[in-house]
Amino acid sequence: MEPIYITGAGVVSAIGRGKEETLTSLLAGKTGIGKMKYLTSCHNDLPVGEVPFSNEEMAQKLGIADSMFHTRSALMGRLALREALNEAGLKGDALREAHFISATTVGGMDRREAYYELEKTCDHNYAVIATHNCGTCTEMIAEAFGEFASLSTASTACSSATNAIITGANMLRCGLAEIVVVGGTECLTKFHLNGFNALMILDAQQCRPFDRDRAGLNLGEGAAYLVMETEASMKKRGAKPLCVLSGYGNACDAFHQTASSPDGEGAYLAMQEALQLAGMKPEDIQYINAHGTGTPNNDESESHAIQRVFGNHLPPVSSTKSFTGHTTSASGSIEAVFCILALQHQFLPQNINWKNPIEGGIIPVIDQKPQGEIRHILSNAFGFGGNDSSIILSKCEA
Amino acid sequence: MKQKKIYIQAAEQISIQSPLSEQWMEEPVFYDEASLVKAQNPSFRDYMAANEARRMGNIMKRALVTTLKVLGETGIENPDAIITGTSLGSLDYTERFLDSIIENDEQTVSPTYFMQSTHNTVGSALAIYTKTHGYNTTYSHGGTSFDLTLLDAWMQMQLGKISTALVGGHDEMTEQFFGLLQKVGYVDVDGMVPCGEVAMSMMLNTSEAVEHLCELAGLRVCFHPSREKLQQQLTEMLDEADMTLADISAVMTGVNGHSENDRLYHDTVQALFPEKPLLHYKHLFGENYTVSALGLYACAHLLKRNEIPSFLYDSKQHVSSLKSVLFLNQTREGNVSMIILKKA
Repeated sequence: MEPIYITGAGVVSAIGRGKEETLTSLLAGKTGIGKMKYLTSCHNDLPVGEVPFSNEEMAQKLGIADSMFHTRSALMGRLALREALNEAGLKGDALREAHFISATTVGGMDRREAYYELEKTCDHNYAVIATHNCGTCTEMIAEAFGEFASLSTASTACSSATNAIITGANMLRCGLAEIVVVGGTECLTKFHLNGFNALMILDAQQCRPFDRDRAGLNLGEGAAYLVMETEASMKKRGAKPLCVLSGYGNACDAFHQTASSPDGEGAYLAMQEALQLAGMKPEDIQYINAHGTGTPNNDESESHAIQRVFGNHLPPVSSTKSFTGHTTSASGSIEAVFCILALQHQFLPQNINWKNPIEGGIIPVIDQKPQGEIRHILSNAFGFGGNDSSIILSKCEA
Repeated sequence: MKQKKIYIQAAEQISIQSPLSEQWMEEPVFYDEASLVKAQNPSFRDYMAANEARRMGNIMKRALVTTLKVLGETGIENPDAIITGTSLGSLDYTERFLDSIIENDEQTVSPTYFMQSTHNTVGSALAIYTKTHGYNTTYSHGGTSFDLTLLDAWMQMQLGKISTALVGGHDEMTEQFFGLLQKVGYVDVDGMVPCGEVAMSMMLNTSEAVEHLCELAGLRVCFHPSREKLQQQLTEMLDEADMTLADISAVMTGVNGHSENDRLYHDTVQALFPEKPLLHYKHLFGENYTVSALGLYACAHLLKRNEIPSFLYDSKQHVSSLKSVLFLNQTREGNVSMIILKKA
């Protein structure tokens, strides 16, 4: 396919606001997962990866006077989007021509659950908050930046943001857009914390992706957005590329609502398709940013899928979820930003907390220093229901 | 890029009209007094085992049955893509899970309702049930959730990536959520159509060889477009479809009797289509986020049958020769989509 250029990126997660803080944490191997501070839940002994600001603090950073109507997902989303648009120098007429595709699954659930018990007797204002849907979250983020050409919301659980990237790429490739802004946002909610807890896939300790003794995931939150454009648009605007999106794939595991198949068929197909579209062979990839949630099921299934695709050409693999927790709908774009940083600064994000190999499994990255140049990175995101997606990001040729 | 032709091969619905049929064309049901009407469920047991049906919420059963009917009609067991639109997803199960968190004070919560509460549960359940490993995604963007599924399929067909796609729009409604929508004045306003429920599955195919209902000749989705921008989008879309405005036989709008909603359509119609016969559908199917799926389904069947029942007209002017319909969907949040369906 024709290369798609990424000219701006913004991120907020438990390891920092903005790419600079994020890079520092990644290089220092410093996790953002810790004690629950902002979410209210009686499961406050579970470690989580929270964005280190209250809603009021985020509203203040954004210059919003009244934060009552703003969901946490929307506030985080705006912080990340602002960074991405600034970096890409996207404003005015160019911004009005850009299409915005944002991903979320919990949407406004943080607000609905907060007032849920009052719903039957609530007033108009609370009802407005309670009827927020996923699309409202996107609209709420977009409205602060002026008018986009179109809005769209992808919602495929934990692969949502990657699917937003894919939809945006398709818009560029078929000529419907010259610039798209894509990514996702998701805050922690009592709703999905209890859901994952009931499924018994939350680790009571810090999560340990790809470790023999891994016992589940930690939930996290955050947002990240990318500005993607065609070569013609980038040249016309005089924008500078951070990296290139050179391939992507989406497939369905079609196995179970909340579990991955033992051989990782969906993951296998998504990675194969991404390689094929990029015109690459397994040996062209120098690093895989795995979905690697830390659940026994995901890491085993994903390991098999990766081994099936890469065989004897297995590049370094790591999961960065032990830094941020599983940021669910936002994880695809947050980890895409990590990959961009890895390409720009030529380092391998470590798989912190890893100690013991899974028998026959993948031994993840322990040393940050790459063997040779990192030119192409494959990043995975898998969702409930087997909604599996992969993207390939590449270094810009000098 | 020369635009590829895309056909709507089959489309089925479960709604507040008689399910899984086009009986609404001869015997439409009008709910004059009601403000919330639940969908008329078919006998689910004709399509799935009782134990399977028990494990699924209404939205999922309806999505699955409309899908199975479409797969049966088209003989396509595994479409290249399954693309689903839903604004609220499994609303009923979402509320049940919220109830259980509160009732049990976050202790001893069962994961059953949570497992079916994410918006992509519907689309992935269709893939699991039919063992379809192809492209699968879900859009959840309020009133344009379904329109975005068409856009996605259309793009991938133009790129040559897929040749068949099962697209759908699905939303259920609960008493509790309806109560909230009443409070914000979204439904149950004087003179407004009732709130309904939506399940619609449709097969798109790039093959001319198959029997089909009509052609999907073009579409555009925009946000807060200026009049000039909308005009430009329309012109572009007509050009690409090798059509002119004169080829559009009628415009179907989403007027629903709510003044804030209807004003949006009147403005657009006056600006872009002042001379065209107008059709409406929400008085038949009710209001709900993805109800545009039912409007588009209705258009496709009108074109196939080459007839427009009089109760679908929203203008004195009638269609003399039915060639194509422009479907207009607008939301109060500012999303606008235009879709052209054409006799094949």
